[in-house]
Amino acid sequence: MKTVNANYFDGLSALQQAVALNIAQGQLEVRGEKLIRAEPLSNIRISAKLGSAPRLLNFAGGGHCEVNNHADFEALLRDAGVLPQSLLSRMEGSWRHALTATVLSIVIAIASFYWGLPWVANIAAGRIPDSVSLSIDTHFLDAVDKGLVQASQLSQARQKKLRKRFDNLRAMHGLPPHQLEFRSSKVIGANAFALPGGTVVVTDQLIALASNDEEVLAVLAHELGHVSERHPMRQLLQSSVVGLAMTWYLGDISSLLAAAPTMLLETNYSRNFERRADRYAASMLRENGIAPARLADMLEKLEKSHRGAVKESGEQPSRIARFLSTHPDTAERIRDLRGDGSRQ
Amino acid sequence: MQTQDQRFSFTGTGSEYFRIWIVNLVLTILTLGIYSAWAKVRRMQYFYRNTRLNESSFDYHGTPIAILKGRLIGVGLFAAYYTALKFMPLLGLAIGLFIALIMPFLLVASFRFRLYNSSYRGLRFGFVGSIKSAYVVFLALPIATLFTLYLLAPFTHQRIKAYQHNNSRYGQSPFTFTAGAGSFYKVYLLTLLQFILVGGLFAYGAFRMIGGSMATMPKEQIIFPVVIATYLVMIAASLLIIPYFISRIQNLVWNHTQLGAHRFSSTLSVAGLTWLIFSNFLFTVVTLGLFKPFADIRLARYRIEHMAFTPAGNIEEFIASEQQQIGATGTETAEVFNLDIGF
Repeated sequence: MKTVNANYFDGLSALQQAVALNIAQGQLEVRGEKLIRAEPLSNIRISAKLGSAPRLLNFAGGGHCEVNNHADFEALLRDAGVLPQSLLSRMEGSWRHALTATVLSIVIAIASFYWGLPWVANIAAGRIPDSVSLSIDTHFLDAVDKGLVQASQLSQARQKKLRKRFDNLRAMHGLPPHQLEFRSSKVIGANAFALPGGTVVVTDQLIALASNDEEVLAVLAHELGHVSERHPMRQLLQSSVVGLAMTWYLGDISSLLAAAPTMLLETNYSRNFERRADRYAASMLRENGIAPARLADMLEKLEKSHRGAVKESGEQPSRIARFLSTHPDTAERIRDLRGDGSRQ
Repeated sequence: MQTQDQRFSFTGTGSEYFRIWIVNLVLTILTLGIYSAWAKVRRMQYFYRNTRLNESSFDYHGTPIAILKGRLIGVGLFAAYYTALKFMPLLGLAIGLFIALIMPFLLVASFRFRLYNSSYRGLRFGFVGSIKSAYVVFLALPIATLFTLYLLAPFTHQRIKAYQHNNSRYGQSPFTFTAGAGSFYKVYLLTLLQFILVGGLFAYGAFRMIGGSMATMPKEQIIFPVVIATYLVMIAASLLIIPYFISRIQNLVWNHTQLGAHRFSSTLSVAGLTWLIFSNFLFTVVTLGLFKPFADIRLARYRIEHMAFTPAGNIEEFIASEQQQIGATGTETAEVFNLDIGF
């Protein structure tokens, strides 16, 4: 009769006893030098196979056996007619299942990053109360006012005039009121951006770059396009989730290291967001009797100004600049906006 | 009677664990995270059962439902804190304060859970630390540390380790912890010195490399390379400093821990751990995370196989705790604190 070697522990002391296991008539027999124990199989919890880790046989009344000889033990179970290992253990043991699982998880990861997450963020962004999103804007402005940007040098009269035209622009399009903020910043240069609560910020540098108010309004209309589709809030939610996932995944190494990939993934709006904002701006501008080509003019100038600034700065930072670029296909957008304008 | 050193050994392999990990990962995704508790039990069992000492392995007995409950509480608290902090900082602060207040309680619950559900040779481990002392070491001392500009940090660290180890049991036998605060101060001081030295060296190197082009840059553009350089210096320094700190602390803690009269020793080397953490991070990033299970196995093997147990007598004389002999009572106590939060 074939037996399987194992170690037996009584659960009361750390004493280890070498035993031989055998199954006869539905009973497991444990035989050692100073021990004979027989238990019906129904009283024993046999741990499912877990790689080549020892299998444990826990007796209902206390005590357990540790088995390291997998092949012989499986043969013993098979001969005794005990059901083979669980489906899970079989899947965990097979490379074919592992490969399927790998492909499946990569597909799921990509799908949730490109479709799932934006879809959820879009729904969630619509449910965040205005008071909450407005307070985000306030806190963001408070934070950047402490260093990244300074108070605008623009005269009150000029600010008032631009605000009035901005209000007309959005009112004509049936959009609720939105805050317009003026700031000056040498660090971010000529720029305009929308915040999650719908506040639009424009820099003195951008206003200086524009040849006329229509060009400024064209950029503001583009930002309102982002606002109307809640792009800033959706972006904030998406990058928060990605950041959270990264921290959780790489967190045990160091949260500092985990921040690196997040930074690269957070590179601003997708091409699709930009295009939708352009289209929105084009229709908004046309309603106000401004040619969408003004936005194209501004995009050209902005790109030139940013490229110029980078070029001055040294030999090869342009590659980094391109990688982190917010507007990767500006030329195409300019072409589209010009085409749009000429159709009028 | 054995008096020779007995090395801990680890028999898990990356290729085996990868298959377990990936199958459980997909099941977790397909069940929207619910299965993660079952996956955790599989993972813990794989690591425990592959950790061996003197021919016998350890085992993990946590139940998935208990873990799931703990996870839901943990994730709920963390999500509330994270979202509130981002959108309503004042509420976030209040939640953070609440978490800090209940944290000592949660930590004790999770130690109890973790130890009660660990066994070796059929005997369970246990944790008998009081909630009151937990509030001292996990709340009062950390606050005091903040107010002394971290001068108390090594002292606090020593108290936390002493609280954990002095209150741990194997069967009926208590663990004891003998390292004093002085040795913790020494590790912290040497770490700080290294950080200044390495950080300074890297900062100097980075400045030499990009300093030239910075001079020709308009002032407003300088911030970009400076931020990138600072970040790189921090990464480089932490990759060198963190393994130093981890290895020294683990060695210190285990070389001063006893189980009854039996001793432990840990001999992690700084160079070995540095290479391990660096290569693990690199491979994990390059393989977009697929190396993670291999990394986990490598780290576990390194940490476990550098530990040894020096028995002072017959280790077979350990006996189960009263609590465990009563059986049901012990289980019930653990059920009440069926929380396992991995903060």
